[in-house]
Amino acid sequence: MTSILEWLQFVLAPQSINGLSIGVAVVLMALGLTIIFGLLDVINMAHGECYALGAYAVVVILGMGVSFWWALVLTPLLMAAMGYAMERGLIQQVFHSKDRHTLTLLLTFGMATVMEDAIKIVFGANPRSVEAPVSGATELFGLFFPNYRLFVMLLGGAIIVAVWLLVFRTSIGAIVRAAAHDKDMSASLGIPVSRVYSLTFAFGVALAGIAGVLLAPIYSVFPTMGRDFVLMAFSVVIIGGMGSIKGAVLAGLVLTQIQSLSSLLISPVWNDTLLFGIMVVVLMWRPQGLFGKLGHA
Amino acid sequence: MLDRFNSNSSKPNAVRILAIVFFATALLFALIGTVMGDSFYIRLATEALIFGGLALSVDLLLGHVGLLPLGQALFFGLGAYVSAVVLKEWAASFWLAIIVSMLFCAFAGLIGGLIAIRSKGVYFALISFGLAQVFSRVIYNTRELGASDGMTGVPVVTVVPGLQTDNPLGFFFVTWLVIGGLYLVLRYVMQTPMGRLFSAIRVNEHRVCFLGFDAWRFKITAFVAAAVVAGLSGALYPMLRGFVSPELMFFQVSGNAVVNVIVGGSGTLIGALYGAGLLTVLKSILGSFTVHHHIVIGLLFVVVVIAFPRGIIGYLVPVLEARLSKKKTGDNS
Amino acid sequence: MIQTPLQDTVLSVKGLGVSFDALKAVHDLTFDAQRGQVTAIIGPNGAGKSTAFNLISGAITPKFGQVKFEGQIVTGFSPDKMLAVGLSRSFQITNLFFDLSVHENLRLAGQYLERGRGWWSPVQKSQTALARADELLSQFGLISKANDLAGHLSHGEQRRLEIAVALASKPSMILLDEPTQGMSHADTQETAELIRRLASEFGLSVLLVEHDVDLVMRVSDHVVVMAQGMKIADGSPQEVRANPDVQTAYFGDKH
Repeated sequence: MTSILEWLQFVLAPQSINGLSIGVAVVLMALGLTIIFGLLDVINMAHGECYALGAYAVVVILGMGVSFWWALVLTPLLMAAMGYAMERGLIQQVFHSKDRHTLTLLLTFGMATVMEDAIKIVFGANPRSVEAPVSGATELFGLFFPNYRLFVMLLGGAIIVAVWLLVFRTSIGAIVRAAAHDKDMSASLGIPVSRVYSLTFAFGVALAGIAGVLLAPIYSVFPTMGRDFVLMAFSVVIIGGMGSIKGAVLAGLVLTQIQSLSSLLISPVWNDTLLFGIMVVVLMWRPQGLFGKLGHA
Repeated sequence: MLDRFNSNSSKPNAVRILAIVFFATALLFALIGTVMGDSFYIRLATEALIFGGLALSVDLLLGHVGLLPLGQALFFGLGAYVSAVVLKEWAASFWLAIIVSMLFCAFAGLIGGLIAIRSKGVYFALISFGLAQVFSRVIYNTRELGASDGMTGVPVVTVVPGLQTDNPLGFFFVTWLVIGGLYLVLRYVMQTPMGRLFSAIRVNEHRVCFLGFDAWRFKITAFVAAAVVAGLSGALYPMLRGFVSPELMFFQVSGNAVVNVIVGGSGTLIGALYGAGLLTVLKSILGSFTVHHHIVIGLLFVVVVIAFPRGIIGYLVPVLEARLSKKKTGDNS
Repeated sequence: MIQTPLQDTVLSVKGLGVSFDALKAVHDLTFDAQRGQVTAIIGPNGAGKSTAFNLISGAITPKFGQVKFEGQIVTGFSPDKMLAVGLSRSFQITNLFFDLSVHENLRLAGQYLERGRGWWSPVQKSQTALARADELLSQFGLISKANDLAGHLSHGEQRRLEIAVALASKPSMILLDEPTQGMSHADTQETAELIRRLASEFGLSVLLVEHDVDLVMRVSDHVVVMAQGMKIADGSPQEVRANPDVQTAYFGDKH
């Protein structure tokens, strides 16, 4: 019979730490999604596929014999370029129409379908595995933690802080927030709004890509991984509040904790249901989520 | 997405002609298939009609009330499962399966609607998506319902004396009648005050409340109706194929239905059927060349959304009615 | 205000007030509107007219005070409840069904007259709604535009349609929110005539909020002046025009 303390130390804590490493990646993805919505008022239904592409980029780069660290640096750049092209080439086309909201939903949904099919064609339907760049485990407080998970937590956490600083403490961030708050006013102040939109979309997509890179060694890489993950990302964004960075961080960490700890009590099959249930309850009780929009945060 | 039901225009005539063309072509297709002795194409056509019914339910929500459902396959699959269970476990009766499926989906639609209809836009889309994800996951893991393998061995039933579900042409005709009936009922509903309010909600939901109508009540009604339409279409599936599987509720099915509606032309009802029919044909043709037909359809969808958002029927109707009003000598519409 | 024995109060506003954070947007607003009369709320920018309108129409729930219509408390009622008691409103920012035809806009609004009936028969059979639509088309001079999309109308025509839609349900009182907003001079005159006729010919009670002081003085029977969230004058147009507080509020301290 294990004592409560031992249960806390050997069962709860590892689950919680694991959840934290996932949580950091979920937050990155949610940040991308919420920033895109906060500024462009666009729901990127292809965000899950951007995450998947990030993971597949790692597969390709590793396959070329290049190290994981290069993948970590190159993938966000590649994803950003792709995101920029997507925004300029596709989303701009429907952005100025009257039915903008429905059309961008449908368009990004279509983009998601095409991207998923493209992945299936190029990489096949079988799952790939990616080896973690750091192996082994470190002992902390009497427990062993996989080094890679610790790395994910640290790097992911650092990126989250960097994003926060970028948005709230730099002039670039101020420009983005201004454009989110009042597009026309910003334009009349000389801000190249259209380019800001494209760059912001690219940035959001790059964040999803990084999440994909970080989680690739933890989960296996398969074509529908984006779709499976996107409900989680959207739940976080909705619960945290569309367009709120604070909300995305808090909701992302809390929900992943709930998810990993709940798997101690209920079968993992019901994970999705639990999260979905939480999202529905939050939507019914407080439709705008916990916090406000980017421009008004 | 324009109002197509002005009281004094020739638009209804154009739509009527296109509808007649659709159903006549479908019938012709099946008859040719019978003459050629190949039941594969007849069954394909029947399946196209069944998924056309699902597309109709999506158009009711998307094209008329203005809600994008990304999980309508939930009700389609529920209808299919209920139908299979009724036929296998209760009684091998066509009518019982149909009726029980419809009732079950009406009830499920009410519950789902109470959860989903509080939201609009992307929130509604995600709740709809989430509901389908959750329930397909549940069924996937329920051994009594066959888990991931689904349920096979659905018996052949008699629809009317002399007509059984394993008769390809016969069952095609039954499906043709059911889907045709659904289409006519929905078209009729759109011409009633309730149907007009659906459209009004899509155009300006805010003002509808100020006209004295509770928009929420109408949205729930539409949601339940869409669930029943999807469920009824789904109920026919096991009768055609002899089995059901959780894949019927997967996102692929919901997504395809949306693609069918947009490509065919949302808000026209017949567009949903044309979309389902044309894309089934396209998939079949492409499928004989390459196994990657999905991406072609996906690209086509993206092109349509960007360049032709009104869909095929959406663009055909004005062209057709221009021709029609030219024929009416001295009549200016 | 002198209480005359022939008074027939249709709308009674008492002590209405609401604050937004520290700002008292409307404070202790009290006035009565008489049946069959045109009552107007005017005031300089920032006076709180729009807020007062929204409080009365139920768009914003008042923190203080009460609104009574035909003796019944209607404070903060939802739009459909307001319509049920006979109170209808129009919008300052045109709020029509732009993608539907003018005729359909009016028919939809007129459908309210048949609520509860005819849900299962085609609209062609809704004689009441169709008749009402035709009636309004001719009353508002929109017959030639019946089949045009509401979004294709000129601004002036849209503002007229806006009022017509609000009237379709045959309310006993109509609340007009800046009805001549953005209108040309000619359109404004026409609308002024219309508002006058609503009261004199059709016996409707009208409450309107307006910027155009001249218009208000011409068409109203009763004017309420607001400044900085409070009522500063209340009376006939002549009384109000002569009121020194009103002059100060509008023109500053020049006597």
